Amino acid sequence: MINPFSIIDRRLGLKRHYRRIFERPLPEGVTYFYCLGGIAFFFLIVLTFTGVVLSFYYVPSASEAYHTIRFIDGKLPGGASMPGGWLMRALHVWAASGMVAAVMAHMLRVYITGSYKPPRELNWVVGATLFVLTMAFGFSGYLLPWDQKAYWATTVGTAMPKTIPVIGNFIMELLRGGPDVTGITLLRFYVMHVYILPLVSIFLLWAHFHMIRRQGISGGL
Amino acid sequence: MDKNQKKFYPDYLFEILLVCLFALEGALLLSYVFPPVTGSPVDFSRNFMPRPEWYFLALYQMFKYFPGRLAFIGVAVIPAAIIFLVFALPFLEKTHSRRLSDRKFSALVVAVILISAVVLTVLSYY
Repeated sequence: MINPFSIIDRRLGLKRHYRRIFERPLPEGVTYFYCLGGIAFFFLIVLTFTGVVLSFYYVPSASEAYHTIRFIDGKLPGGASMPGGWLMRALHVWAASGMVAAVMAHMLRVYITGSYKPPRELNWVVGATLFVLTMAFGFSGYLLPWDQKAYWATTVGTAMPKTIPVIGNFIMELLRGGPDVTGITLLRFYVMHVYILPLVSIFLLWAHFHMIRRQGISGGL
Repeated sequence: MDKNQKKFYPDYLFEILLVCLFALEGALLLSYVFPPVTGSPVDFSRNFMPRPEWYFLALYQMFKYFPGRLAFIGVAVIPAAIIFLVFALPFLEKTHSRRLSDRKFSALVVAVILISAVVLTVLSYY
């Protein structure tokens, strides 16, 4: 009897690797509060799935964006809609809020248990960067529906850096792609939201998880 | 090895999958009951002050307290200082003890920042 898995395993050593990950013991005092980071990661998986599905229909241009969002929501006057689109978008919005809440709660748990103490300082820095990236995801995603609320929220939000002396105007125009919020801003935010931020986040998450594996979970006090 | 000691699999993985299931159920329920509302199309002539997402409300509220040329203090200097504190936290605390009772000053600073953020968020609704 040929076992296809054992053929692959003899070459790649998957079982050995799996044992190292799955059978490692945990320290005492690991409670449900230690699941918050896992919840944040789970929401990221939900966001990736719903985000990819939404991107099949969403068009990031000033003339198309609002129309395609109405199509996804099933709110077009003609009744044309993306099947299950409203649910994908609603889940994307709620999972985003959930992820921000989970990341914040995770950071608070790590603070209270002092889990960033040596030798885990570097992992705290990586985690704090991931928090900033999560907020940037939220900010860039808010503009994409291109409705009245999104447009003016981004106008106000991108005007804030302008008040910084000397470099303020440069930062604002870098974010907007010009002096005003236009279709270029929409494209820029879209590229941030679906290419740049996910790429950087995936790399940092890889580092975050590998450091946990190397150093172990900090455990109870 | 101690038989009662928790392992990643199955103990911890099961716990995580359980809470993830609850998280998904929560998100599905909220999606069904409160689907996102899409506003009217962009009207460039009708300027209004929209509310940002809940996690930016504290920043939005602080923006109101620093009018005109001082605005950068509220939107750049204070947030940058807080983010710096967060990043530098493991290097600022002198003690290596993980107990909160051994790092009272740090706990006080963090509590003040968190309470301020909550108060600003609540104030932004009025």
